[in-house]
Amino acid sequence: MEFFIHQISEFGTALTNLALDPITYPYLICSVFLGIVFGALPGLTATLAVTILTGFFGNKFPLEQSLIALIGAYVGAIYGGSYPSILLNIPGTAASAATAMDGHPLAKKGRGGEALGMTTTASFIGTLIGTLFLLVFVWLLLMISKNIASPEKALLALFGILLSGTLMSKDLVLKGWISGLIGLAMAMVGLDPILSETRYVFGWSYLMSGFQVVPVLMGAFAVPQIMDGMRAAGSIGQKVDVGKIVPKVGTVLKRFPTIARSGVIGTGVGALPGVGEDVAGWVSYGVGKAVCKDGKDFGTGSVNGLLSAEAANNAAIGGALIPLLVLGIPGSPPAAALLGALKINNVIPGPTIDPALIVHVVAILVMASFTMAIMGLLTARVFINVLRIPQTIFLPVVMVLTTIGSFSVGGGINDLYLMLAVGFVAYAMNKMDYPIAPLVIGVILGPLFDETFRRSLLISDGELSTFWTRPGAAILLSLNIALVLSQIPTVKRLFGKLSFTS
Amino acid sequence: MEDKTALRARDFWTSLVLIAACVFFLWCTTDIPLFDTQTGGVTSGDWYNSAAVVPYGIFGLMLLCALGLLTISIKDGGAERALRGAGVGWERAELIRMGCIAIILFFYIFALVPRVDFVICSALLITSMIYGFHDGHPERTKRAAAIVAAAGLYAFVMNFPQSEWAKPHDDDWVTLALWLGLTIYTLINHRDEYAVRIAPVMAILVPLILVLAMAFGFRQNVPNRSGLLFSQIEYHYYVTLKPLWAKKK
Repeated sequence: MEFFIHQISEFGTALTNLALDPITYPYLICSVFLGIVFGALPGLTATLAVTILTGFFGNKFPLEQSLIALIGAYVGAIYGGSYPSILLNIPGTAASAATAMDGHPLAKKGRGGEALGMTTTASFIGTLIGTLFLLVFVWLLLMISKNIASPEKALLALFGILLSGTLMSKDLVLKGWISGLIGLAMAMVGLDPILSETRYVFGWSYLMSGFQVVPVLMGAFAVPQIMDGMRAAGSIGQKVDVGKIVPKVGTVLKRFPTIARSGVIGTGVGALPGVGEDVAGWVSYGVGKAVCKDGKDFGTGSVNGLLSAEAANNAAIGGALIPLLVLGIPGSPPAAALLGALKINNVIPGPTIDPALIVHVVAILVMASFTMAIMGLLTARVFINVLRIPQTIFLPVVMVLTTIGSFSVGGGINDLYLMLAVGFVAYAMNKMDYPIAPLVIGVILGPLFDETFRRSLLISDGELSTFWTRPGAAILLSLNIALVLSQIPTVKRLFGKLSFTS
Repeated sequence: MEDKTALRARDFWTSLVLIAACVFFLWCTTDIPLFDTQTGGVTSGDWYNSAAVVPYGIFGLMLLCALGLLTISIKDGGAERALRGAGVGWERAELIRMGCIAIILFFYIFALVPRVDFVICSALLITSMIYGFHDGHPERTKRAAAIVAAAGLYAFVMNFPQSEWAKPHDDDWVTLALWLGLTIYTLINHRDEYAVRIAPVMAILVPLILVLAMAFGFRQNVPNRSGLLFSQIEYHYYVTLKPLWAKKK
């Protein structure tokens, strides 16, 4: 108990320091604004916003300041995706796909302003709920994580890749797993982490240090969006009038149970390695449909439906940061981009992370959520006008941003070649319904998996039993096996028969 | 159903490509010692020391998944459709659009960015993409791709070796001339289009602000520092402007 009181007081100090530092505000306002614009423009994503800013800040700025910009953009972009979802029925980001289900019908009924106001409030409260869980659970997990050794780390990394592949697949689960395996294979390029043996370098010295995270992220997320979005855009969009946006306090209080429930669900789903805000939105929407009194009205313009999705996707941010900070395993694709930023600043998240950094991240999240709420309620009309810009005008600009961002991080022109090659492959994979997130998670977690898996074998003198004799490893191995088996049709049919018989 | 079969036809070809890639990389992995690894100069005969263990596992699993995908695609009629010549469900117009974007991006990244001033080549990229794709006219799309390809090919052919990337600046001038030509052409023939009117402003301002912010604000590396425009900007920043505020201090 004393420990938690100490952490809360540390958090209070960090928040006060952040709030009293004048440099915080330009970073926060600009990054949240940029994030909302990125979220609001269909085709641009939260991951892209964080990745592009990672390229800009690199390692030339103090990490504390870079983190304000990156987290501000992350929070803003997840929220910003709700604008086109509600007003145009086009999800600005994958995270706000569930928002469109009820948001757009509300807008069609002339309640667009109300929908935007409630969405802003739900996103704000959702982010705070996620942040609260982050503040409480990160310490618990940090204490547990000190007992996590190489076998657990290897199995956890594998679980993250498998889970991401399973949940992100739109078509066959097999495609999600293949995507994750391609990412893992890409991570094998370069010098191996234990013996420094060269692998798949083919005489190109650039590959000795392996694939860099930032160009891979830029290639995987930006290039396919640019290639897909550059199609006939038609004329500049018409002006949208939405009416009053600021919601009544009474309405918010009445809907608070829905927001709170969705916030908790969002945080839980966000904390699953490699899953992300879009899955959080859909899971919470599904639960809301099942438990709300007006569940049958979901999809026809239900405010509860809208809040279920929107509170959850923002709460997932706090959730996604829990495994990132404690274990170095990103909970979502934007968190993966954040991990890239931490790595180029020589910060290795995990059990040895500086606790002050965690408290700083939590304080930034709180400040960013307040900034987002104020901007969302007072300057929503600016973001509504952003929706009128066609993709064919802003995507070429994004290409230039991506190019200079990717170039600047370190690898120079070779990083650009890598970015474009990954981009072409990711575009082809998108076209064939392969999810891209598992590939990126694979590239990021690959080195961790490789090193910890082999270290486990080295320590145990080649005994594979090290993966099931330790209790933590045994649980994680069972989870991995259960996850794979649950997706095999024969096993599914067998379980179906068994449950039918019983 | 038709879409699903087309997707399975693509899966059929993809699985074959994946199988070939897995076999190739498994073969490449045999180059990494499995039983006679060297650790700090000491030879070890243990398989678990080897850097090949994890790659064998990854490519082996990927091979299994690819075989599973092949089986599914054959079962669902994808193979039949793929081999029948009914195609994989891509339209010709979409292929042309994609081809043109791929050409533009390829020449921009591989030919122009390393050799031509970043502001000039990005201006050409922005103008050609807005002109070529905004209203979805296939002729304009092809023309835009041809212009970027022409600039890229010139830079490639005339200044291929890395030693010529910084100087001479002939490729910078050619790219600048092509951008100016395209801008004037679009402003004369399509000035009623809002996107075409704002394209030249964006084409100059966006890369210029970005490159200035990156080089002098964020203190990051920028492409082609010795480019036609940037070399002048950098020279005057350090020689003309910086002494002004340095003296004030």
